Amino acid sequence: MTATVENDTPKAVETARSAGRFLFIAAVVLICAWVLVPIYLLMVNTLSSPQEVTGFPKTGIPSFDFSSIQFFISFAGVAKALWNSVLVAVLTMILSIGIGAPAGYALSRFDFPGKEAFRMLVVMTRAFPLPLLALPLAVLFIRTGLDDTAIGLAIVHTVLAIPFAVLITFSLFSGIPLELEEAAWTLGCNRWQAFQKVVLPLVLPGIAASAVFAFTISWNEVFAAAVLTIENRTLPAFLVQNLNVSPLHLKFAGGAAMVIPALIFIFAVRKYLFAMWGIANR
Amino acid sequence: MKNTTKWLTGAALSLTLAVPANAQVLFWSTQAAPIEETQRMRDNVLAGFEGGVDFQPQEVGPFITRLEAELEAGSGQIGLVGALHGDLSTYADSWADLSGLDLAGITVSDAFLELGKLGTSEQKYLPWMQANYVMAANKQALEYLPEGADINALTYDQLVDWAQAMAEGTGSPKFGFPAGPQGLKHRFFQGFLLPSYAGSTVTKFASAEAEAGWTMFQELWQYTNPASTNYAFMQEPLLTGDVWVAFDHIARLADAFNQQPDNFVAFPAPAGPMGRGFMPVLAGIAIPKGAPDMDASMRLAQFMMQPETQVATLLATNFYPTTDAALPTDLPASAQALGPAITAMTSAPDALPALLPVGLGDLGGQFNQVYTDTFERIILGGQPIRAVLDEQAGTLRSLMEQANAPCWLPDAASEGPCPVD
Repeated sequence: MTATVENDTPKAVETARSAGRFLFIAAVVLICAWVLVPIYLLMVNTLSSPQEVTGFPKTGIPSFDFSSIQFFISFAGVAKALWNSVLVAVLTMILSIGIGAPAGYALSRFDFPGKEAFRMLVVMTRAFPLPLLALPLAVLFIRTGLDDTAIGLAIVHTVLAIPFAVLITFSLFSGIPLELEEAAWTLGCNRWQAFQKVVLPLVLPGIAASAVFAFTISWNEVFAAAVLTIENRTLPAFLVQNLNVSPLHLKFAGGAAMVIPALIFIFAVRKYLFAMWGIANR
Repeated sequence: MKNTTKWLTGAALSLTLAVPANAQVLFWSTQAAPIEETQRMRDNVLAGFEGGVDFQPQEVGPFITRLEAELEAGSGQIGLVGALHGDLSTYADSWADLSGLDLAGITVSDAFLELGKLGTSEQKYLPWMQANYVMAANKQALEYLPEGADINALTYDQLVDWAQAMAEGTGSPKFGFPAGPQGLKHRFFQGFLLPSYAGSTVTKFASAEAEAGWTMFQELWQYTNPASTNYAFMQEPLLTGDVWVAFDHIARLADAFNQQPDNFVAFPAPAGPMGRGFMPVLAGIAIPKGAPDMDASMRLAQFMMQPETQVATLLATNFYPTTDAALPTDLPASAQALGPAITAMTSAPDALPALLPVGLGDLGGQFNQVYTDTFERIILGGQPIRAVLDEQAGTLRSLMEQANAPCWLPDAASEGPCPVD
């Protein structure tokens, strides 16, 4: 009797703990596989010869055949398109934060008539599909000379990114207690100084994260880029147009060409992304 | 922080404003979009043009949006447009007259030149290149060919028997059809199935003969690889062996022949009760009236029609010349296999050519949708054929009236919009 009790109580805790551990590890493995397996398959097929890509059975091990990659690198204009993509994305980042962050601050700190309506309207810019807007935009751009420039395209991408910039920065500023600012005012800061010395350092990681978000939106946008630029193509407009009607092995190579720069960028800024989640959880 | 931002903005602005002046002719095209074809067009076809060409293939959506924007703005960068007959016919008023172009020593097909006038007295576009749709089969499939069937004079009933024999012999359906979102299925219904069965694309859309055609296709679908609803380019499933017999555009079959020339045969599309319906594809080149350098555009159009360019275009895109350019003897495997199949089809005694839609303007997409919807409802949705045809015929009728488009081959010429019985 005593023996069973002795065996029972401690074991129950231990099994529960190990079951929990098992579940935790399984979930981690599953989520990792969810992300890594497609990337792995993309890489294997990118580094295989065309015959292996269409052939069966698959070995799952790349043969390090660089012909697909080589084709891409030698395809006229890839390097320039990559540069344009980065340029447009950086401009989008600067513009959307430059316009979005003040709007987010105003929404969180001030009361003004039409505040709620403004919060709704800001999201409305995402309600109109680009193919619908592209034609009048293109006509306007041709007439004003904005056509085929990185800044013109960045303005369009900024419009797409601004709702997110405004709403993310709004929640960031709302997360900073007003008392902190008030304390700074009582100690002799004016509004701008209080913002600069107290609020800004606290929200900077979050702002960086929302800038990354703007970067990704611009990086992935195809339709406006395809219509509004010709000489100064961005990489997605340059590749995606051709890729969906290209043979399988080139689709893989093109996919890799799109994914790798984005992965490198995300790795470079990952600590800011984590920072945003940290703040958002507060 | 503030200074960095300022500096970055300034640097970015100065970079974007320094757009280099470009004297190249911009060649805006819906054709040769697959990346390898694009590469060959640039390197092997257009590299020889003095002054340089910027060849930019596009999907139809951005292609049309950009083109319309430039036409509306009255100026732009596009120097030469390359597209299918149907896309070009939408903007007849916007094209410059090309009849003054010197094409001495080149014989262009008269029928094509006439199409290029788009019903006006001016040469709105020049026929650039042509293609067709054929059937391709893995040689393993030939042993299942029904007795007495000649692969070069196949009927649709024999095709059904063949597909059935393959499905039963191998245990899996081996017929393949490009019914994916990017597949050209609507062309099969418009140019092959309905003409072969009803002798018409539009007028007899809902006739009893058309009903018989759809019944045949329903039977064929039982022996069709179900992955077909995902296929766009039949060369891929042919190469993997998922499909043994397939129908598609020649440019979308070429890779199978080039990669494994000994494994595949090409042959004409089958015939129905009314004949061997087929749909030739014609691409043309046109110059927008607002082209930045009209002179260079004209020279490029002329360059595209030269015999050497036409042959180089064939090698680059698998589209055949529209002129009498002499073909070289050392053609790639795809051209060697597909060329004779096209000739066998177009010169068959029961040949029944059906044209791409004419005069529909921007309703072309909706026109295709009628055929795609009919297919999806009857074949994929299993709805009763008669009811679906009657309903879709109503949609088709109002479309033709809205476009005020007269009939085109194989339908008999009409006064006013093409009737749908």
